[in-house]
Amino acid sequence: MKVNVPEKWDREFDVVVVGWGSAGTAAAVTAHDQGAKVLILEKMANGGGNSAICGGNIIVPKGKEFLEYLDTLSFKTTEREILETFVAEALKNGDWIRQMGADVQVFRPLEVAYPTMIAGAGFPQVRGAENVVKYNIKGTPEEGKPSQRLWKFLSGLVAKRGIEVLTATPAQELVSNTRGEIIGVIAQKEGKRISIKARRGVILTCGGYENDPWMKWDYLPVKPLYFLGTPGNTGDGIRMAQKIGADLWHMTRLACLIAFKAPEFEAAFWVAFLSEGFLFVDKYGRRFVNEAGIEIHEYYKELSHFDVEKMEYPRVPLWAIFDEQTRKRGPLSRGTAGYNRDLYTWSLDNTVEMKKGWILQGKTAAELAAKISMEPKVLEQTLARYNHLCKAGKDEDYGRPREDLRPLEAPFYAIQLWPALINTQGGPRRDKESRVLDPGGKPVPRLYAAGELGSIWGFLYQGACNIGEALVFGRIAGKNAAAEKPWA
Amino acid sequence: MAGTNLAEREFIVNATPDRVWRLIGKVIFSVLPGMESMEILDENNFRALLRVKMMGSEWVLKLKGEMVDISPPESFSVRLLLEGLGGLVKADQKVAFAMAPVEGGKTSVVCGATAEGMGLLQKAFLTGQARSFARQTFEAIEKRLKELA
Repeated sequence: MKVNVPEKWDREFDVVVVGWGSAGTAAAVTAHDQGAKVLILEKMANGGGNSAICGGNIIVPKGKEFLEYLDTLSFKTTEREILETFVAEALKNGDWIRQMGADVQVFRPLEVAYPTMIAGAGFPQVRGAENVVKYNIKGTPEEGKPSQRLWKFLSGLVAKRGIEVLTATPAQELVSNTRGEIIGVIAQKEGKRISIKARRGVILTCGGYENDPWMKWDYLPVKPLYFLGTPGNTGDGIRMAQKIGADLWHMTRLACLIAFKAPEFEAAFWVAFLSEGFLFVDKYGRRFVNEAGIEIHEYYKELSHFDVEKMEYPRVPLWAIFDEQTRKRGPLSRGTAGYNRDLYTWSLDNTVEMKKGWILQGKTAAELAAKISMEPKVLEQTLARYNHLCKAGKDEDYGRPREDLRPLEAPFYAIQLWPALINTQGGPRRDKESRVLDPGGKPVPRLYAAGELGSIWGFLYQGACNIGEALVFGRIAGKNAAAEKPWA
Repeated sequence: MAGTNLAEREFIVNATPDRVWRLIGKVIFSVLPGMESMEILDENNFRALLRVKMMGSEWVLKLKGEMVDISPPESFSVRLLLEGLGGLVKADQKVAFAMAPVEGGKTSVVCGATAEGMGLLQKAFLTGQARSFARQTFEAIEKRLKELA
């Protein structure tokens, strides 16, 4: 391991937290409340990361049997003792929030959109699924969307304690000594390099790599992938951890939706339909899936089919085809979540997006096909077949439920869709104490990680577990880092 | 103050309460007469435009809805605030749904709509309209649920 101790430190703290979202806040607050002097470094102009723009739900399981559910979902990619720790601590998530001065409410939506966030388990057939209960920070829509309420609560904890936060200050390097301990961080502030001593420990909570094109291309199972969340997640924590010899895990894992990408926006727009009058086709106009049956975080599975004859992903991009009733029913992109939420308000009847050319119209299937570079006959046949199945009330091709079938009537509309990341799950491997591990399984001394960066979700992902995990392992990391004996 | 009872309907659906619960949200939004441009604010709250016929003309009403008292798979209510005609129409309604298992794996569905917070003038002119709207909606919900069960 490279030793890079500076001759002089610019700042000194007990614990340095890199990245200010849910995990960073939980870590900083816990370490502070144990008496540590804490600094938070945040690369962006504002904190929050994905936590401030996500669905805002937090898992607080009903009982310990939730472990069996998670163990099945993990498919042996995460050690059981880590999941045990998670479940034991996630049971306390609601109490922790209440102790910190807020309250929670159960998330029980009526599920009317395709796709939609659901109240219960993403995989209800798995044993222990009945233990999935999602909460969010109690409040009304006037007080903000769930993730806005979450971030108001979390950032308030930091402000109330007077914990110092340096925004627009990206961490660039971890400092290690001859014993291999992580004893500080090198960051960039207003063009200058600053060295920050961490007497007790460093906690990495700086998210994934949704906005790093090369890492995405290399690690993830479908290409290209856009992102819905913060553009700040560019894999910085992964590179810093790699440089000091950390092992990586879960690098191929992701939570992925479908989205529209406008060139003038950095992030993509999450798209959902408020009426059953829509279907998906590949780039050739062929239907390929039960559109109403895809688990909301697992869209990439349906899109990652690779055609080795043509050497392409035929479902990337895919097209959603819909009708007038669906167009008028409501905005295809809602403002519930996503980075673009505060940058653009989608029109209620989608007319503005039609004028922009984001949504295309055809009086007939053939006319629409010509506009989206498809063979007219193929799209005509696909729509005729789909409408026939709808009228029969049975989708013999893909098993879409009867209640989700409605024949489409001309005029037809199309919007181009891409797989888009909510977040990635990979990063430095860690243990149940939030300690970062080297490839031999040994903890890297004084280095911790929590949250989306190297999350514990290594196979299938249950919604609301990212924030739940960020709070749990953020608290554990904060507690353990603050308990380290100062090295100087 | 108790609200004015607008409409009630009870029917049996040949499906379990869990299945009815899964269907009912989408069914309501797909059969609501004149429903246009729904905007989901945060999963429990939505806004919409309703195109309705009143006094011989077609009007667009703004609707704000909130799901309340949600207790799956037994019951939930929708609190509806309607506004239109340049502020002349303002109505606050609550629509309650209760599902209970009955013999043979079937479900009894009880729907009830009450008007709350209507002025006297509005009550005189609009109660009939609201009653008819609620009755039509409940009939359509029953028809669609039975089709899908």
